[in-house]
Amino acid sequence: MTATKPILSALAVLASAITVLGAVAPDAAQAQGRPFEGVTLRVATFGGPWRDDLVKNVSPKLEAMGAKVEYVIGSPQDNLAKIIAARGRDVPFDVVEVLDAQVDQAVEAGFLRRIDYSKIPNIAQVEDWARHPNAVGNWLTQEVICYDKGKFAELGLPAPTSYRDLADPKLANRVMLADITGGGGLANFAGMTYAAGGDTKNVRPGLDLIRTIKGAKFWKAGGDVVTGFKSGDIWAAVAHTGWCLRAIKFAGANVASAHPRISDTQRGVIKVGWLGIVEGTKNQAAAEAFVNAYLDEEFQVAFAKNSGVWPVNKRAAQRLRTEDPVFVALNLIEPAEMNRMLRIDYKGVNINSWYDQWNRAISR
Amino acid sequence: MSALGEPTSSTIARAVPRARLSLPRLGTLAKIAWVSFAYLFLLAPMIVVMGSSLDGTEVYSKVMFPPERLSLQWYERIPDAHYRALALSLGLAAAVSLGACLLGIPAALGVVRGRFPGKSLLLAFFRAPMQIPAVVTGVAFLKLYYLVGDVTGLFLNATFAGLYLGHLFVAVPYVIGTVVSVLQRFNSRLEEAALSMGAGPWRTFRRVTLPTIMPGVHAGALYAFMVSFADVPISMFLTAPGFVTYPVELFFGIETDFNPSVLASASLVIVFSLLLLLAVQRVIGLDNVVRSK
Repeated sequence: MTATKPILSALAVLASAITVLGAVAPDAAQAQGRPFEGVTLRVATFGGPWRDDLVKNVSPKLEAMGAKVEYVIGSPQDNLAKIIAARGRDVPFDVVEVLDAQVDQAVEAGFLRRIDYSKIPNIAQVEDWARHPNAVGNWLTQEVICYDKGKFAELGLPAPTSYRDLADPKLANRVMLADITGGGGLANFAGMTYAAGGDTKNVRPGLDLIRTIKGAKFWKAGGDVVTGFKSGDIWAAVAHTGWCLRAIKFAGANVASAHPRISDTQRGVIKVGWLGIVEGTKNQAAAEAFVNAYLDEEFQVAFAKNSGVWPVNKRAAQRLRTEDPVFVALNLIEPAEMNRMLRIDYKGVNINSWYDQWNRAISR
Repeated sequence: MSALGEPTSSTIARAVPRARLSLPRLGTLAKIAWVSFAYLFLLAPMIVVMGSSLDGTEVYSKVMFPPERLSLQWYERIPDAHYRALALSLGLAAAVSLGACLLGIPAALGVVRGRFPGKSLLLAFFRAPMQIPAVVTGVAFLKLYYLVGDVTGLFLNATFAGLYLGHLFVAVPYVIGTVVSVLQRFNSRLEEAALSMGAGPWRTFRRVTLPTIMPGVHAGALYAFMVSFADVPISMFLTAPGFVTYPVELFFGIETDFNPSVLASASLVIVFSLLLLLAVQRVIGLDNVVRSK
């Protein structure tokens, strides 16, 4: 009996220690800056290098706070379909990337939670227009005409200034346009429609304009544009400057960008990517931390250099003006110039009608 | 021939029978050319993919064929995510193939041997999954899992089991189809002989029926494997973080960007597939598999 007493005492001390440790552990984790210990944050985003950049640059920041970040890859439409299927139940992911064509639809359907910007310190560095109540603009693209400088010179063609320039017979079968179902499809189609005198309610002029471009090819994946320039299959493409940048940096293509005339006061089209926190998430704080990390200056600079998308962080944009001459050469960088680019308001637009008309006029 | 090279009557006379003789040879040459063209047509994509994957130039976003300089650089740059996805897809396809056989063989036996009205209707019903657009199947399964989860508390969405069942749904008809086609040509007297010699029903099935329908089973299993391994539309709705299948990983990767490591990764799959076919040839005999179809 006496022999067992010290053992029992030791066990009691151990149990007490475990209890105390258990009680203080969460506080200790908080104190050590690991407030998301045990949290698994699921982020729905694009695949490939896009996801890889997030894994490399954003995930470590969340992991340092104790969270595990998992990525659900897919197009925004696919991801919204998953939210619809899960309606009223546990959400399939906590954070989702959507494009401007879907953001209003996602908000109206109640898929995106109102963002508490006080929890996102980096918002102070973000452009005002990017603060939607239910989503934050996290990048933007400048949709332009990307063209082969050498080929245009060889053909005696000046740099293009409008979409109509692509209908020049010398460019027949050498122009690539964005397919409406691809990531850049809606923005570029809308841009061509406005340039031809139409608008979101009347896209017929855009379709007519596209049909004047003889033998136009259509891209769904932006990599097709880069491959097309490098192989010499195409001499001009309607795409965002990121694809021109990648064609130059990664494929050695001799291309430049031209912001096509949309109206007397507008040149080029802006497409915006939005980041939203999914309504019903149980990991709101971690989701806010992810959004904050996405808007971080360092990541926005690195992401812009890799992918060619324009940062929404003003400091990052400022740095790119001096750090990346290729980026500067391809984009309109002054805020006044960017403000004169067309931003499409998709609110109330019947996108399905666009698809139907496109299928009848172009796909056939 | 005359001195000036003009053909004489004797040279023409010699040439005519020769031309007649060479007609069958021409036919053979045409056949060889046609078959060669067919093989080239079938193999060209694989040759281009594998050849381009060996390109050593630092050109990103381009399929460079023939390669300018040989190198394995793109193989070294295959993302880890591809290997993880490939391992998942291989395991999943193997499991689907097995499951499809376990469900498909009894179903095929029931349809062919059973005596009940509406057999052809049932057979058409079994084939229905092949006629539904796969995207619809994917969304439908996702929705179904949520509904089942609401009732039972067991949510199969974003689980391996959920992905497995989705693939099984489209794979089973292939096994049923191949086994049914073998069974329809099956000589039932073999079974009658076995039964009359004292073998029980199970022994007769194991020793007579199963070996006879095996070519159909092998063919069905192979098709089930391929259907599962190559699927994108169903998987993109049923995969989840941690288990993304190989085609989905490639599809969404290429959609965002393209670099030749994708070609290297695809080349490994081609090599693996060829090795698998060689193994099938050695163990089972591809002729048997093909003949059952």
